[in-house]
Amino acid sequence: MKKTIAFNLNGDAVSADVESHKMLLSVLRDTFQLTGTKEGCGHGECGACTVMVDGLAVNACLYPAFEAAGKSVTTIEGLVSEGNILHPIQEAFIRQGAIQCGFCSPGMIMSAKALLDENPRPTDGEIKRGISGNLCRCTGYVQIVDAIRESARTLTGK
Amino acid sequence: MKRYDYHQPQSLKEAYQFMEKGSAGNARYIAGGTDILWRIRQKAVEPDALISLRGVEGLRGIHQNGGLSLGGMTLFRDVERHSGVVLDYAALAQAAAVLANPQIRNVATLGGNLCNAAPSADSAPPLLVMEAVVVLEGPAGRREVALEHFFKGPGQTVLDRTEVLTRIRIPERQPRTGSAFLKAGRLKQDIAVVNAAALVVMKGNQCAKCRLAIGAVAPVPLRLKSVEKLVEGQEISPGLLERACELAEKEVSPISDVRSTEEYRRTMAGVLAKEVIQKAVRDAR
Repeated sequence: MKKTIAFNLNGDAVSADVESHKMLLSVLRDTFQLTGTKEGCGHGECGACTVMVDGLAVNACLYPAFEAAGKSVTTIEGLVSEGNILHPIQEAFIRQGAIQCGFCSPGMIMSAKALLDENPRPTDGEIKRGISGNLCRCTGYVQIVDAIRESARTLTGK
Repeated sequence: MKRYDYHQPQSLKEAYQFMEKGSAGNARYIAGGTDILWRIRQKAVEPDALISLRGVEGLRGIHQNGGLSLGGMTLFRDVERHSGVVLDYAALAQAAAVLANPQIRNVATLGGNLCNAAPSADSAPPLLVMEAVVVLEGPAGRREVALEHFFKGPGQTVLDRTEVLTRIRIPERQPRTGSAFLKAGRLKQDIAVVNAAALVVMKGNQCAKCRLAIGAVAPVPLRLKSVEKLVEGQEISPGLLERACELAEKEVSPISDVRSTEEYRRTMAGVLAKEVIQKAVRDAR
């Protein structure tokens, strides 16, 4: 079964012919060549595939592509503004050394974005809860929490 | 990955039609999908078609009017953030807040968690102690089943293939009631090694009513009625809690698997029984 689905992708209206058994992750990576979103475990444990759908962080590996129709999808590529300007969260990750191999970073940053959109000044505990669906095998999380704390400050202007 | 059709009905009637058309008997309803999609990938289930309930009108939302009424497609995200649930149905809010992780809670549903019927389902113990009733609707009509009689075994419920769990109803919280949820796991977000919920109605220092449910220690989430009986009418004392702990250990029939051993689960069932009753007593107001 095949269908054309139309949705908003990083601010642009797009459409794609999709097979009914495909997940949003493969549409993003294979159809739109947005390979920033990674596949890690493939079953909702590691968070490497985290994107935002209508403002909420979800695992794209467990999100049926058909369900994206009519929705707004934001991937890591969507955080970069015109002129290749990185988002303050991305900048903070770089500054704090919150990236080593980088495989978890796009998902980690999307979870941070969803968290800060809902809760602009999270406590450290809230930050840890916010990224509890994202695994990082390099950093030990300390720098990641530092980076999110720093971006919260940047984004709220203090 | 196995190919399957994916239908997106807008109404229950339409959903039943897709299900009845699934002639090979191999169509499945899908709610948030966080469990079934993974099982399809593992080839543990191989449906020909999935019938999504996400677009069906009226299945999502929480209404607090006397009791609590939750649509089957209500997201765990919404349960953990609902002020009425947090305040009056604490055990349910606490369970919702530690189910898997934020990304899963943003799509996983209360009804899906119950229909999956995992013995470890985090939403089951709180709803069992609150004496929840589930509303099941299908082409043949509508029926209400006490949650206690809903589960039949691991992955098995009384649901007919064409039926949908549309609503969960919880009776109104009575004064001096407290409830709590606890979970043992390597990490909070893990599938529970053991989970437990308690509800108490206090009369002074005495426990007038006690409900206790434990998950992941039997083929279905379990009400521990002997412990409830032991506690009811008694003052909550260290001695009583010790006896509750011992009795809970005897009542459960856990298995050993990849997450834990039979022995550890049995011990933890006792520990959690004791601690969750204490926590519920502290919540009583």
